[in-house]
Amino acid sequence: MERIGFIGLGIMGRPMALNLTREGHGLTVWARRRESVAPLAEAGARVAASPREVAREADIVFLIVSDTPDVEQLIFGSDGIAHGAARGSIVVDMSTISPATTRDLAGQLAQRGIEMLDAPVSGGETGAVQGTLSIMVGGKPEVFERVRPFFQCMGKNIVHVGPAGAGQVAKACNQILAAVNIEGVAEALNFAIRAGADPRKVREALLGGFAYSKALEVHGQRMLDGDFKPGFKIRLFQKDLGIVLDSAHQMGLALPAAAMVAQHFNAQMGAGEGDLDGNSLFRVIDRISAAKEL
Amino acid sequence: MQPRIGFVGLGVMGRPMAQNLLKAGYTLAVYARRPETARVLAAGGASLTGSPREVARASDIVFTMVTNTPDVEQVVLGDDGLIHGLAPGSVVVDCSTIAPGATRRMAEILRARGIEMLDAPVSGGEAGAVQGTLSVMVGGRPEVYARVRPVLERIGKTVVHVGENGAGQVAKAVNQLILVTTLEACAEGLALARRCGVDAGKVREALMGGFAASRVLDVMGRRMVEEDYDPGVEARWHWKDMHIVMGLAAEVGLAIPAASVAAQNYNALMSGGGAKRDTSLLVKLIERAGGAA
Repeated sequence: MERIGFIGLGIMGRPMALNLTREGHGLTVWARRRESVAPLAEAGARVAASPREVAREADIVFLIVSDTPDVEQLIFGSDGIAHGAARGSIVVDMSTISPATTRDLAGQLAQRGIEMLDAPVSGGETGAVQGTLSIMVGGKPEVFERVRPFFQCMGKNIVHVGPAGAGQVAKACNQILAAVNIEGVAEALNFAIRAGADPRKVREALLGGFAYSKALEVHGQRMLDGDFKPGFKIRLFQKDLGIVLDSAHQMGLALPAAAMVAQHFNAQMGAGEGDLDGNSLFRVIDRISAAKEL
Repeated sequence: MQPRIGFVGLGVMGRPMAQNLLKAGYTLAVYARRPETARVLAAGGASLTGSPREVARASDIVFTMVTNTPDVEQVVLGDDGLIHGLAPGSVVVDCSTIAPGATRRMAEILRARGIEMLDAPVSGGEAGAVQGTLSVMVGGRPEVYARVRPVLERIGKTVVHVGENGAGQVAKAVNQLILVTTLEACAEGLALARRCGVDAGKVREALMGGFAASRVLDVMGRRMVEEDYDPGVEARWHWKDMHIVMGLAAEVGLAIPAASVAAQNYNALMSGGGAKRDTSLLVKLIERAGGAA
């Protein structure tokens, strides 16, 4: 029996960890904020005092936190996973971070005989709660096979994309598409409104054709309902797109549309809309052309 | 008494700037990663040292002019860095173009040791550096600025104290935003003229008399017309600087859409073999996107 550890119990991590306990896996957890561990402790998880201690108690350690420096700190910080993990154990990073950093981390862990998978997810809080996340995985095939049963407790569409970093590359592509799709929906619905058409009818008509997308279906509806509750917050979207654009900068690749959406995220951060859902891009497009004296 | 001056980073910009200080009669201690770049200065009377720390020991005011944030941090805070050789009351003047946040952090670390810092990035290119006609945008305490100003006036013509630490780098970021976005506009405009079958050189000439005239259209526009892409200003510097600009906009929450398009095109220039060619090569990228060979 593999012993499981889980670090990072935020909006995403908590329901993911709970799904692991429901499937009957004994779990050791740690989170920066003590209050986040309470629901897991109630569900029978053991609460560790540090990431290092989680690693000592587990063969496979999952982590999902906000940003690249957080992941580096959790793995290689003074009380980090690397100092507690035995040879042959596995670190599974489900955060969204830079592909290049991921490759570095995997290389450093390999020198200590520790395996790593990058396994970022898509599907938001709903997907995490329902256990229907998409999980895109980078790393060795045999390591992926060992972890797959646990992924199946948290997600539905689980794809081994390639070697270390490939999961983060897939996630970056996911964020490019998500951002540009939502921007498209926001612009189209604003156009419909300004042109005097009923945007609900327009959306309905388009759902049957080639412009159909999940973004038009789900986010389009919420935009028209004025429902901007997160979901996936603008500030995280901005951070993720920042990772994508930093990578593109390093690769020498132009991503003009994604870069434009990133500008709109900037504007939302400036307008104090960082905690709204990504679909609130609708508001920027509306605001830019507001029929109001400048 | 004249302050003793130190200079670290003797590249295309740093060397002529240091030479101007030498010509002005200052005692000068220098350090460069590649010693051969310091030879000209040694011939002019500068003393060569083995590390930034040694430059610091011999100086009251130390200028740094290197490529990017990690380089500046290494020179200032590294094992053999300036911080280990500077006496309290001495001043670091960083002329490199780096992120404003990084400058502020360094200034704080230095201040804890009683060492002052100014950020003093420049604009005006190699020609401005050689002629001592650079624009210098300075951030830091007013009293420190007042002390260093006579020295800055030997390397630049327009010297402006913009504000507190970091304000000079903000001004430089704004400078690069306007410069590179204007470059994008000139490249698009001249590419459009050519695609319409009109002589781009004549268009430029006509425009230089009107409201669309600019230094960029003058200098870089001429290069675009003449297809002269030997640097000049290497495209990779604008690629690097625009990344700083975009990071700043994300940090403070402002959309700068035109600049973001230009920044993306500079990414593409890096893949198109443009890194060390002149920045005006941007016009070729616009033309290539539209199907030109």
